[in-house]
Amino acid sequence: MSRKVWALLALFVLVGAMALASCTSGGETVVEVTRVVTETEVVEQEPEVVEVTRVVEGEAETVEVTRVVEVPVVNEEEANRMGGWLDTIVIVQEPDSNSAIARLEAGDLDVYADDVGGEAALQAINSDKIQTRTQYGLFDELTFNIATCADETMLNPFQNEKIRQAMNYIMNREYIAQELYQGLATPKYTTIAEASADRARFAKEIREIEAQWGYDFDKGSALIASEMEGMGATLEGGVWTYNGKPVNIIFLIRSEDTRALIGDYLATQLEDAGFTVDRMIRPAADLSPLWVSSDPAECLWSLYTGAWSQTAIDRESTFSFEQYYTNRVLPWPLWALYSPPAALDEASQKIYNGDFSSIEERNELFRTALPLSMEYATRNWITSRLTVVPFRNEVSVTTDLAGGISGAALWSKTIRFADKVGGSMRIGLPSVFTEPWNPFGGSNWVFDQMVIRGINDQGIYSDPNTGLGVRGRIEKAELDVREGYPMTASSDWVTLNFVPEVAVPDDAWAGWDAENQVFLTAGEVYTETQTVLRKSTVYYPADLYDTVTWHDGSPISAADFIMPLITVLDLGDPASPNYDEALVPTREQFLSSFVAMRVASVDPLVIETWSNAGSLDAENAVNTWWPNYDYSDAAWHNMAIMLLGDADGGFAFTDEKAAAGEVERVNLIAGPTLDILAEKLAAATEENYIPYAPTLGQYISSDDAAARYANLTEFVRRNGHYYISTGPYFLSGVFPVQGQAVLQHYDAHPDPANRWSAFSAPAFPVTEIDGPARVTIGEEASFDIYIDVFDGPYPVADMDSVKYLVFGADGSLVAEGTAEAVEDGLWQVTLGSDVTGGFAEGSNRLDIVVVSKLVAIPGTASHEFVTAP
Amino acid sequence: MATDAITGDFDLSAEVDVESIESSARKARLQSTKRLLRYTFLKLVALVFTVAIGVYITILVANMGGAVDKIRLATIRESAALAATANPAFKYMSVEERTNYLNRQVELEVKRLGLDRPFMIRSFEYLRDGMVLNLGYAQQLMSDSGSRFVRNILLERLPSTLLLFGTANLILFFLALFAGLSLSRRYGSFFDKLVLALAPSSAVPAWFYGLFLILIFAAWLKMLPFGGMVDAPPPDNPVDYALSLGKHMILPLAAWLISSIFLTIYNWRTFFLIYASEDYVEMAKAKGLSDGMIERRYILRPTLPNIITSFALTLITLWTGAIIFETVFNWPGIGQLYYRAISAFDTPVIVANVVLYAYLLALTVFLLDFIYALVDPRVRIEGGGHKQ
Repeated sequence: MSRKVWALLALFVLVGAMALASCTSGGETVVEVTRVVTETEVVEQEPEVVEVTRVVEGEAETVEVTRVVEVPVVNEEEANRMGGWLDTIVIVQEPDSNSAIARLEAGDLDVYADDVGGEAALQAINSDKIQTRTQYGLFDELTFNIATCADETMLNPFQNEKIRQAMNYIMNREYIAQELYQGLATPKYTTIAEASADRARFAKEIREIEAQWGYDFDKGSALIASEMEGMGATLEGGVWTYNGKPVNIIFLIRSEDTRALIGDYLATQLEDAGFTVDRMIRPAADLSPLWVSSDPAECLWSLYTGAWSQTAIDRESTFSFEQYYTNRVLPWPLWALYSPPAALDEASQKIYNGDFSSIEERNELFRTALPLSMEYATRNWITSRLTVVPFRNEVSVTTDLAGGISGAALWSKTIRFADKVGGSMRIGLPSVFTEPWNPFGGSNWVFDQMVIRGINDQGIYSDPNTGLGVRGRIEKAELDVREGYPMTASSDWVTLNFVPEVAVPDDAWAGWDAENQVFLTAGEVYTETQTVLRKSTVYYPADLYDTVTWHDGSPISAADFIMPLITVLDLGDPASPNYDEALVPTREQFLSSFVAMRVASVDPLVIETWSNAGSLDAENAVNTWWPNYDYSDAAWHNMAIMLLGDADGGFAFTDEKAAAGEVERVNLIAGPTLDILAEKLAAATEENYIPYAPTLGQYISSDDAAARYANLTEFVRRNGHYYISTGPYFLSGVFPVQGQAVLQHYDAHPDPANRWSAFSAPAFPVTEIDGPARVTIGEEASFDIYIDVFDGPYPVADMDSVKYLVFGADGSLVAEGTAEAVEDGLWQVTLGSDVTGGFAEGSNRLDIVVVSKLVAIPGTASHEFVTAP
Repeated sequence: MATDAITGDFDLSAEVDVESIESSARKARLQSTKRLLRYTFLKLVALVFTVAIGVYITILVANMGGAVDKIRLATIRESAALAATANPAFKYMSVEERTNYLNRQVELEVKRLGLDRPFMIRSFEYLRDGMVLNLGYAQQLMSDSGSRFVRNILLERLPSTLLLFGTANLILFFLALFAGLSLSRRYGSFFDKLVLALAPSSAVPAWFYGLFLILIFAAWLKMLPFGGMVDAPPPDNPVDYALSLGKHMILPLAAWLISSIFLTIYNWRTFFLIYASEDYVEMAKAKGLSDGMIERRYILRPTLPNIITSFALTLITLWTGAIIFETVFNWPGIGQLYYRAISAFDTPVIVANVVLYAYLLALTVFLLDFIYALVDPRVRIEGGGHKQ
């Protein structure tokens, strides 16, 4: 019987008992409970029935009742499971998304870890066997050639800022989103990414911009007409002409995706506005030489249907203005022409450089830059695509708002069958093992990186819903930040201190002597004491070395944390035996913000870092030095054999060095370099090789080295490859030609499997407005805002803000404010009589913008009402 | 002994000059050998020259006469800049440092791809390397196991291609050959008409049938896999692996056969029909020889050169794989690889693929001439004898 039936039965019994009790006369009632069941007691399966004996004194009457006590059922297997939930994960290559959906429906796949759009997405959404998660992160835009043509007989209309602005009016973004994308996109007006912290922060400003720049073809056409005439063009027979010839717009339209339809639609709109349009519908490779490389003044093109992607939630929108409206980031000829208004230029640069002292000041910079960027309009944003990540109903997994499953660092930590522990799951990926795996020049393909993340651990993870740092392997962190920098901390594991000055101690490691293989201290590198923006101190748990092991069984050690600093400095240094020219830029980039590092304590491990890299969030400013390299993880001992092979010229880390030496790029998991790695492992074992011995010799004993090489040898014997990490699964099978990988549960992983359960699904606020359809001008009006999450009320404590905007009949903002919390899931907007008194007669719209602390994308809702006297 | 060619009478008065005959025979043999060598040499030169021209045209086409360099440069600039901006550390560099950084990244890639040298020079280097089978280093593609060497890239995909298309084509060839032969002897029968009626079904490509077969047997009935080579994960036991491989080959083989079998049978049947109505076949029939004997000795034998040619060309066609077919069945074959190479303008891989195919084709054509001579006594090198 179900719990409800038991509960109903118990209710009847209790009511019966109470009725009986009420029939008995006087006397004190004593209830003896034959067995006490508390709520914390664990029961296995069914709710427990307990016998309650009711003794009525005086009448000496005893009534027996049965009471059902509902206690939480805890599955011991779930509670005790360590590491990953699954026994094995089988990755299979499935390049076609339509086929993937068919396989999901047939149960041949459990998850398809790519973002799916178009027909396949609609099929997944409509399937009763598949659930989908929305992914944001691909934006369509219209790039304008803003140059004045070198050939004076030609007219480029888009050199005119007003005509670029007018394009906002003649493109119906809603039509593009709903019709061309079939609902799988949302209109996008501003540069701020959908999956970003600033999207919620500036929700009000964005709504205002949307109201200002919305579709109005006549308005746009009129604006174009006045500007074209101003530039000397004439409208002849409905066609704009210049110097007696039609003004021809060369429209570069990407052919690979929905941009082909968008381009065609916009070309038609331009034709309706009087232009002659030459549609050049081609793939990326054909169009790239024109819009990226050609001289814009040659006027070989006028417009381009661009698209930009984001792979992680953007916490700071650093590049939002600087990359798209100034000439300081991208070195392409078109960008060289960007010369934004001074106010936009200044605000953009300050946002990019973090040149502000408070969040309020930064907010003001955004409020300045946002409308100006719309006016300068080097590009018009069109839509933000919504793709879906499909998986079967019985699967539970974390997805990143911007990166889906493949971009979620926590995917393997949460993936499971909802109704059982263990089992084998099949995940489809468009490609598997696209490029070699190695730490410095390995595969950067998103699907290889997904597998790499699936088998690794990280010191700090990125919250898949907000992008904020979440404590991983570290225990806690401290940040000393120069006063005046607007950093905030939201988590209890990080302590943020503001200090007048952050000085670098002379004994911290600030450089590297590649010849002698020792660190150079700050005292040796700098003549004066350096001061920096921040110092990060990371504390690892006291039992780190006892609990965390590499997949070959070797306990992690301090040398694993020091190796990343050595290699980033050494491999880009010409004096190193492992010098790689292709890694020089990497070294330079690293040194542009890094100043020094020091191991304050080896056991427990405490590492200090001095850096000029800023962040608004303290959680994202902690340097953990966890051995996640740029492209893959590595322990010091498998790194050692790679270094040996590289130094001998047997292989190289990077493609550039490999091509120059006509050798292979080292691949830890497959291919011809496995033989060389085997040789080097044997050699390292024989001589108990300690890499960078003058430095790492202080942290690695001869016995440690011997044990590590023995462990790795055994691991290779069992699994056939050299890739080890520290995550909840290890790579147990590599089948490159067949396009398959097998990840197996790593039994020695120290985390309980349910550690990351809170991140299983994003807590999107679902918002509804209930209020009057008619408001009397000059009278108070009240609206109830219902905000739910996962079919329950959204807790007020998890809500950042609930703002409202009222737009009048002419689209202008007539009122704004913050809703009042009534209770969990219920907020209220009250428009006072003084506010409604200012409304004009007609139709109005109330917009609600709900900003949660748990998810970066705000919830929105609208309510139309009319105002009358 | 000599005979009068006209009367046929023996000329007894003529003395038999054994030495002279032997000398003539030696001379004839020598001349034959010379002619053979000359023929062989000229044939080889012609074939190599043809291969070289074909390969060079491929190089020019694949690189759009050098225009691909512009595309590549733009792509390199685009990728380098986008990769740099994706790295948060980029913002801590000054504008000058950023420019230097990006220029350096572009320069490294340009150097790696050899774009710092004129295309015409590189085009002849590609040709030279290709012709001497120095397959070298791929520019964009990698083998599945991560190797940049073209040799590894091709060798990794070749077995799966040969396995699938070899099996499919061999089954198709022999099935169609014998069915065609049989039908040629049963002209107008029900099966003959059936094949005739179904022959147009070959207008539909194999991959199209594949989609339907996948829908029916994988998605609906769930009897067979959607695609791929083996189960996931691949079985450890070789027998299980082979069985798994066989299971994954059923649908592609079926699609391939359905798509081609009727038209191929029809072709062979029509071909054999011409020979089956020859006088000597009628004569054999009249002599009461068995059907099998007639088919083997009187129809198959004189058509052997055609059959061998067809068979040889079938075998080397396997090399090319089938792009869409492999994609539909997610089969890791050489067709997909070739498509990726073309899309990525990876000239060394394209050249290697073309040059190997061209050499195989040339070798086959070359060998076929000799095989014809072996299986068909009517075939002689020009001037070497009378045609019968």
